[in-house]
Amino acid sequence: MNKKTILLSLVFVFILGFALVGCSTTTEEAPPPEEKAGETNEPEETKDTEEEQNKESDADPVDNTLVFGRGADSVGLDPATITDGESIKVTLNIYDTLVKYADLDTSIEPSLATSWESSDDGLTYTFKLREGVKFHDGTDFNAEAVVYNFERWANGDKSSFYYYSSMFGGFKGDEGHVIQEVKAIDELTVEFTLSRPQAPFLQNVAMPVFGIASPTALEKYGESFTENPVGTGPFVFQEWKRNDKIVLVKNDNYFMDGYPKLDSVIFVSIPDNATRLNELIAGEIDVADGVSPNDGSRIEGESDLQLFTRPSMNVGYLGLTNTRPPFDNKLVRQALNHAVDKEGIIAAFYAGQAEPAKNPLPPVIAGYNDDIEPYPYDLEKAKELLAEAGYPDGFEMELWAMPVPRPYMPDGQKVAEVLQNSFAQIGVEAKIVSFEWATYLEKARNGEADAFLLGWTGDNGDADNFIYVLLDKDNIGSNNYSYYSNDELHDILIAAQSNPDQEARVELYKQAQEIIHDDAPWIPLVHSTPILGGKNNVADFFAHPTGSQALTKVYFE
Amino acid sequence: MAELAPNKAPETAIRGARFLLWLEAWKSFKKNKLAVVGLIIVLIFVFLAVFAPVITPEGINEQKLAERLQPPSSEHWLGTDDFGRDILSRIIHGARISLWVGFVSVIGSIVVGCFLGILAGYYGRWVDTLISRFFDIMLAFPSMLLAIAIVAVLGPSLRNALIAIAIINVPNFGRLIRSKVLSIKQEEYITAAKAIGMRDRRILFHHILPNSMAPIIVQGTLAIATAIIEAAALGFLGLGAEPPTPEWGKMLADSKDYLVQAPWTMFFPGIAIMLTVLGFNLMGDGLRDALDPRMKN
Repeated sequence: MNKKTILLSLVFVFILGFALVGCSTTTEEAPPPEEKAGETNEPEETKDTEEEQNKESDADPVDNTLVFGRGADSVGLDPATITDGESIKVTLNIYDTLVKYADLDTSIEPSLATSWESSDDGLTYTFKLREGVKFHDGTDFNAEAVVYNFERWANGDKSSFYYYSSMFGGFKGDEGHVIQEVKAIDELTVEFTLSRPQAPFLQNVAMPVFGIASPTALEKYGESFTENPVGTGPFVFQEWKRNDKIVLVKNDNYFMDGYPKLDSVIFVSIPDNATRLNELIAGEIDVADGVSPNDGSRIEGESDLQLFTRPSMNVGYLGLTNTRPPFDNKLVRQALNHAVDKEGIIAAFYAGQAEPAKNPLPPVIAGYNDDIEPYPYDLEKAKELLAEAGYPDGFEMELWAMPVPRPYMPDGQKVAEVLQNSFAQIGVEAKIVSFEWATYLEKARNGEADAFLLGWTGDNGDADNFIYVLLDKDNIGSNNYSYYSNDELHDILIAAQSNPDQEARVELYKQAQEIIHDDAPWIPLVHSTPILGGKNNVADFFAHPTGSQALTKVYFE
Repeated sequence: MAELAPNKAPETAIRGARFLLWLEAWKSFKKNKLAVVGLIIVLIFVFLAVFAPVITPEGINEQKLAERLQPPSSEHWLGTDDFGRDILSRIIHGARISLWVGFVSVIGSIVVGCFLGILAGYYGRWVDTLISRFFDIMLAFPSMLLAIAIVAVLGPSLRNALIAIAIINVPNFGRLIRSKVLSIKQEEYITAAKAIGMRDRRILFHHILPNSMAPIIVQGTLAIATAIIEAAALGFLGLGAEPPTPEWGKMLADSKDYLVQAPWTMFFPGIAIMLTVLGFNLMGDGLRDALDPRMKN
């Protein structure tokens, strides 16, 4: 008996021991993501001292270095392979595209191509290239280089050149592939042959992700090109310390005379909004990206700081996964649309710096349908619709909130809490769930969320870049996170894509928005106006609506 | 010697004697003014926690976005937070959560810790080696990191935070009781109990355990304070309570963006954490002075 108890207790201890040892081994694996959250201050401190050292060493001549503070590090520096805004912010300064957007809007300007013309049927585009341009590694820029780049993308696959496939309808051999052939006519002339007209073709080509890279460098570095970027742009890549900073220095041979004006640019990652703002106030950084809307007044209150507003070209929304019950029921989706106090959210968590959204498309984009009547904030109506849908007592759901501040949603958790509260009033019990950002996106893309907060900043200023990318059935599994599929809408969107007549396109997109409004695959929440803070002496900094800007013209007064 | 007596009458006498011992302890506790202050603070918070639904002016999740971030006023004594919710109401409800987490997690660690500690101390040899090394392993991790890891494995929620806090405190109690058992088992009355053939289980739970209770109570009171801080820390890191639960640490995290704009949103939950922790610490110190015979003159 005695021995039995001892034995039993020992067995218990063993089991407990193993269970806990299980826990302790996981401690070795589990902490890294936590450490990131917990230690945000530490790397910054080391960075600070480094920066100070840098500054001290550079300070004596003219300190012509711009330190750009932002929320996260880049994923990669090969523009063709990336999709995140933080990468584009950097690559935009290393590479040039054939044509580019104007400083403050998305109208097309010459860049590597000095002029271009298209055939009447919209099937051929001929670009005249700029003479005497060299890549940072000394390789000549010419028609062959352009062909090399486009061939590289066209022969890729969805996992490598993600943007290429969504903008140009797939890859070589795919049925929808738009770019049939890219040909070098002579040293400085390139001809594109399209398989069908694509109205936003120039807008697409101007996207920073289609920056032309040096063919010799691509061959030399292969896989590691993303860490050794070589382009023709205003700045030359110098150094990258992951999760800390990226250093670019002036390209002395840049084709724009007298530019860039800065000697170097340092992109530093400071994940916490408040910390980043404090660094700006302390003078450690020159420009702070992603300032919390509530801190706008604080920047205005500082005499040596200025506020930049980025023209609004985005949408923040609550996606309802249309394939998951009860969200497969249109009435339920409409009911939830009635249960959101957008004005309240904007006043509270955007400091008024946003417009309530009724369409997936922001009002600045041609094709916006202003005749749509938004679903009013009406809890009674919402309850009626729920009852009609067969849920008089509501239901339980998961409400996913993004873990990181985004330009279209500075604080997803708080917005989620407001939604949770309103939903509770119509009997819908929402549990707020969050994951690490990459996991969040992946799970939502796989359709694992009931409802998820997300948003989109336009890449090229075309309606296609919002409605087709976010809501067409072609993009389920990529950017159509809500799994919304409507064949009628699909036909309209493809027609709009191929129609070169701008007015006809506008009409088609207006029609598309009516269908979307009725089906209510999302709850469109806001179109925000993101703000940035900068030192007073930073001049000619243009906060571009696409979310990333070239720093070519920036100088210190 | 009384333990040896087989009849019932002396046992009530023992109980009486024990009661006298506690009375003695209470008297010496009373003399310690700081300890009494601590006790009062704790009692106030316990009162708030128990009667929270009755005394709070508003519910915990009545959002009025139009009234957000209002400074303290006669209508909202402690102001409103960024959702326009009454901070006072949320702090009072928060007391429920923090005290609940504190008490339950510490009781959990005491039960498991005592069990393991007694086994280690009483049986010695390889049982001791095994359990003690196991405690050493757990203590080798910074406790907060271990808690974070456990919550990361279990998934963030208030209940899992409570479990994590209970687990990380186990070795502290285990070691304490082990050392106490080591000294008690040398006592003559234990030898006597063994001599008359008493079973191990009875010796452990009727003689050794009651006699090692005093340090456990002291350590337990102090551990509640730590547990409340740990729960708040986990809440602050987003690993504890889920919204809209008014957990103090989460309230702090939620309002850290408004530090400049609306300092009261951070100030009052912070004060609440500080006061309860202070209360339990003062009380724990007082209890130690009262219960530890070596401190008595």
